[in-house]
Amino acid sequence: MSDSIKNVEEKDGVIIISTAGYFNNLAGEAVLEVFTKKMESGSTKFLVDMNDSKVVNSIGVSILIEIIEKLQVVNGVMAFTNLAGIVEKTFNIMGITKYCEVYDSVDSALEKLS
Amino acid sequence: MVSPISSKKSIEDLENQLLKKNKILNEKYLELETLLDLTNTINSLDDLNELFFNVLTLSSSILNSSKGIVLIKNNVSNIFDTVSSFNIEEENIKKQIFNTRSGFLRKLNKEKKSFIVSNKDDFNHELFDSKKALISPILYNNKLVGAVILFDKESRDGIKNFKQNDLKLLEAISIQTSIAFQNVKLLESLKKSNKLNENIMSSITTGIVEINLFGEIEFINKEALRLLKKDENEVIGNHFFIIFEKNNLLIDLIQKVELEQKRIFESEFNLKSKSKNISVNLSCSPVFDEGKSFSGIVIAMDDLSKINKVKSTFKKYVSKNIVDKLLENENSLNLGGEESEITILFSDIRGFTSMSEKLSPKQIVKLLNKYFQSMIDVVFKFNGTLDKIVGDELMVLYGVPLKNENDTENAVKTAIEMFKSLDKFNSKIVKDGFEPFKIGIGINKGKAVSGNIGSEQQMNYTVIGDTINLGARLCSHAKSGEILISKSVKDVIKDVHKFKEISPIEVKGKSKPIDVWVYKHK
Repeated sequence: MSDSIKNVEEKDGVIIISTAGYFNNLAGEAVLEVFTKKMESGSTKFLVDMNDSKVVNSIGVSILIEIIEKLQVVNGVMAFTNLAGIVEKTFNIMGITKYCEVYDSVDSALEKLS
Repeated sequence: MVSPISSKKSIEDLENQLLKKNKILNEKYLELETLLDLTNTINSLDDLNELFFNVLTLSSSILNSSKGIVLIKNNVSNIFDTVSSFNIEEENIKKQIFNTRSGFLRKLNKEKKSFIVSNKDDFNHELFDSKKALISPILYNNKLVGAVILFDKESRDGIKNFKQNDLKLLEAISIQTSIAFQNVKLLESLKKSNKLNENIMSSITTGIVEINLFGEIEFINKEALRLLKKDENEVIGNHFFIIFEKNNLLIDLIQKVELEQKRIFESEFNLKSKSKNISVNLSCSPVFDEGKSFSGIVIAMDDLSKINKVKSTFKKYVSKNIVDKLLENENSLNLGGEESEITILFSDIRGFTSMSEKLSPKQIVKLLNKYFQSMIDVVFKFNGTLDKIVGDELMVLYGVPLKNENDTENAVKTAIEMFKSLDKFNSKIVKDGFEPFKIGIGINKGKAVSGNIGSEQQMNYTVIGDTINLGARLCSHAKSGEILISKSVKDVIKDVHKFKEISPIEVKGKSKPIDVWVYKHK
């Protein structure tokens, strides 16, 4: 597992990917890799927990958009939780939040997604 | 005619172009928003570590750099220390030393403007395994004090060179950072100077009260709190009307200064504190701001109670001149019982007992008081310290409690002038029908122990020792109109020619006769 991915687990049919550190190209690629594998094995619901990623750049965001586009094709869902203020603002500007929900906590996200 | 397929392709192309443009616009919008956030963050921070970390993370975020550092010049070593880093391991940071003698900092120090480092540049620094960087100066008074460095511009296709647009953006950020750095440094220096000011104010023995334009107490030091018998909490922020409630005169003074905007000084002002009145020297001064507008009042209060205590203790014994000198320099005061070189003068009225038999007690007291007053005036004129009056005898000290270079000289001058003063005194009392006073004086010089001697109930400043005893003996040997001095006195005075050596005298307690010199008043 990459340093950028702290944990990957499945709960109530939702794949929870917990990231760590700078969410840049490296972290984005790591998430994309996990996502691709899980999607191939049939998962369509993903939650990215960014509690430990307080900084993102547009390359990391563009990879997330790529994942969202892929999920839209299979009617899947992508959601985010524990976003730092500046990260949420970036997601808003880059348009991610138009297609994905943002939750305050993992539990509240699971409640809606599962 | 356009085929449906080519028309569909054109629409798709248009859509793609729109999406691309939209993405670019969003990224620009994000840049602007982040820059605005950064400006707000920078201006609200007063902690440099937090400031630099925010600069690094936000600029890395908008410029897609993979890592970054902030270097700040160490004032002691002139090395630029890494004060903040982003996405770089601690161990890698420690491996590099940066200074302006070489590498990219040399260029930055010379040009003082941002630049891009690409593969072709060689600055003899590994730059944390990167060959692509964006370097921007942090300036203080146009001198290089630090640098913001971002490494490796990320893209989906790998690491790219930074572009001119990135450079402009980082330059804007580093200008903001420089301003914030200056502000924080100024704030630190202001805090330091405030602290120093506070320490000075709390350690000085003058009570200081600062009143602002609205009449509220803005500052009060420890001494003023002590004088007013108040706590800082009950004073700060309160109107002077409340704080000086019992001091109507002080309120009047403050109002007068407010009105006339001129300094007022009141000596021995009666300040009313909680339980008692304290005598203070008080000055009430207007304060003006840089624009010379009236901005408040500062009151300074010097407690006179300690000074008055010293004055009242000594004024009966020494001249005002000596009291002032003692107060000016407390270290010169020796009350602790130390042996020192002194000169002692004794004077005695000859035939006083037979004279007093002819007078009533009331007349005796009146005459003696007049006599002593005229003698003591002379004593004080020459800075003598009146040790005691016993019956008709005066005992005067020179050299204690305050030492002067010409103490012995002064003792002799006192003695000579005492006779002149006695002549005047006598001419007056003779007119009133009384017999003239006749006195003899003895002066000796030598070591003696001085200090406060006595019991807890009664303690007096005096001197003891052989020198004193011999002084007293010389006085008792002196005939009317004579001043007898010892060799130790004769050896140091200028007017020695006025004295004539006579036969040595036998004194009690001395095995050998004592050499003496005499001055005879006409």
